[in-house]
Amino acid sequence: MIWDRVKKSVTGFNYRDAFGQLDQILSGDATQISSLEKGEIELPIKNLIVVMVLLGVLYGICIGSFNLLHPLGEDAVITMGDAWKQLFASIIKFPLLFVLTLFITLPSLYVFNALVGSRLNFLSVLKLLVSSIAIMLTILASLGPIVIFFSLCTTSYHFILLLNVVVCSVGGFLALAFLLRTLHRLILAQDLLLPAGLVVNEVYEDNETDKDKTGKKSNKLSALEKFGPTNKKAKNVIRIWVVVFGLVGAQMSWVLRPFIGSPHSHFELFRARESNFFMAVLNSLMNLLGG
Amino acid sequence: MLIKLADNIIRAKPEVLESGSTRQTLINLAKVLCMSGMFYGSVMGSFAGIFGDRFFQVIFSAVKVPMLLMVTFGLSLPFFYVLNTLYGLRDDFKKVLRSLLATQACVTIILMSLSPLTALWYISFDNYRTAILVNFIMFSFAAGSSQLVLKRFYRPLVESNPVHLKLLRFWIIIYGFVGVQMGWVLRPFIGDPNSQVQFFRDGAWGNAYLELFRIIFR
Repeated sequence: MIWDRVKKSVTGFNYRDAFGQLDQILSGDATQISSLEKGEIELPIKNLIVVMVLLGVLYGICIGSFNLLHPLGEDAVITMGDAWKQLFASIIKFPLLFVLTLFITLPSLYVFNALVGSRLNFLSVLKLLVSSIAIMLTILASLGPIVIFFSLCTTSYHFILLLNVVVCSVGGFLALAFLLRTLHRLILAQDLLLPAGLVVNEVYEDNETDKDKTGKKSNKLSALEKFGPTNKKAKNVIRIWVVVFGLVGAQMSWVLRPFIGSPHSHFELFRARESNFFMAVLNSLMNLLGG
Repeated sequence: MLIKLADNIIRAKPEVLESGSTRQTLINLAKVLCMSGMFYGSVMGSFAGIFGDRFFQVIFSAVKVPMLLMVTFGLSLPFFYVLNTLYGLRDDFKKVLRSLLATQACVTIILMSLSPLTALWYISFDNYRTAILVNFIMFSFAAGSSQLVLKRFYRPLVESNPVHLKLLRFWIIIYGFVGVQMGWVLRPFIGDPNSQVQFFRDGAWGNAYLELFRIIFR
């Protein structure tokens, strides 16, 4: 009974549509000023969440398969069984990391967002955040082949750890750039930055006349393009929030560790509370350079 | 046909980017890359002689040089595609792809033109370590001078949208990062006269960057 329902929802889901919608976000189609007039990204939230989880699983495979791919050193204590367990744990934990980060940061984004004077509702903030995470995971998935290639020929756990940190930072920075720009566009689209409201309309109209003149060049904004005048105070508030988001994401990843699985210890689902993300990265770096 | 294309590549003629179907052009560029890559590879692998067992080293190296470039290209491409999409440049991506593959082909064409020098070096000196150094210089020189062609191919793209230049830097960083490791994994290319002929060297399956750290810091 339950199985049938699960089966139906897995096979009945329209993956084509869902990934098409991801593509609309990536290419900027979904975040043009004209399509944000209702104050939200007009895509179904269910599809975005499914895409987010699937991409998370994909990168979870790339990150968790380290011990299965590389030749184990003589001092390694991990067994094949442990390595398989780690892979399955990562497949579940990596999407979970993003879902939990979403839950932790959503309330504060909503509140800050209201504080700077936007009238975006809860759903539109949620959609914005899920879209940003989907962008981050797309970037991670596209770097997945490189992570797997390095996993294949590297025995050093610290190197792979740092490689994953770099990959995730690249994804994170681009996703946050998207979040900032889109939030700004959403606010502009609703003409809520009151002093700038008139100017926005003018800029927008200018763009349209340009289009008519040249006829060829489209004025489509890319997903990461800056647009329109900015309100400094609002920008700073949101910037602070972005820093908080980054720190929370990093620490969340530390709480849910291990994702890669050290060859020098047996499989653990979670590790004890100790140290923090930044100390661990520093430690790996020192280990790589000096030890 | 392919020779004409090769000539167009080193002159960075706009036909390479504009004429014909994208698919066909990419296939032709890959053919040029494979052929000239195999040419340099076979010269490269002939250090310890070309007869008997050593003939296989020649074959292996001939296969490995194009492989090095193509696999690195393939691994770096997904990220670059996503990046181009995010920055709104997907409409130009066909041209971008042609320019990048043409630049790869250009590297192998330059290498092919340098192969007589490598051969002369092999005939004159029998030190294995300097042979490695010579090949390293050849590859660096070819990679460096192919940037001239890349710049020319990219000029119209950058004129239409300056963001292309920014992304090109990303490409060079990521391609270089993967390429160095790929070169390390695919060793031996030259073939040490004192060891057996192998496609992959035993124990070569390591990390180039860690080796580099080891040399610098210890």
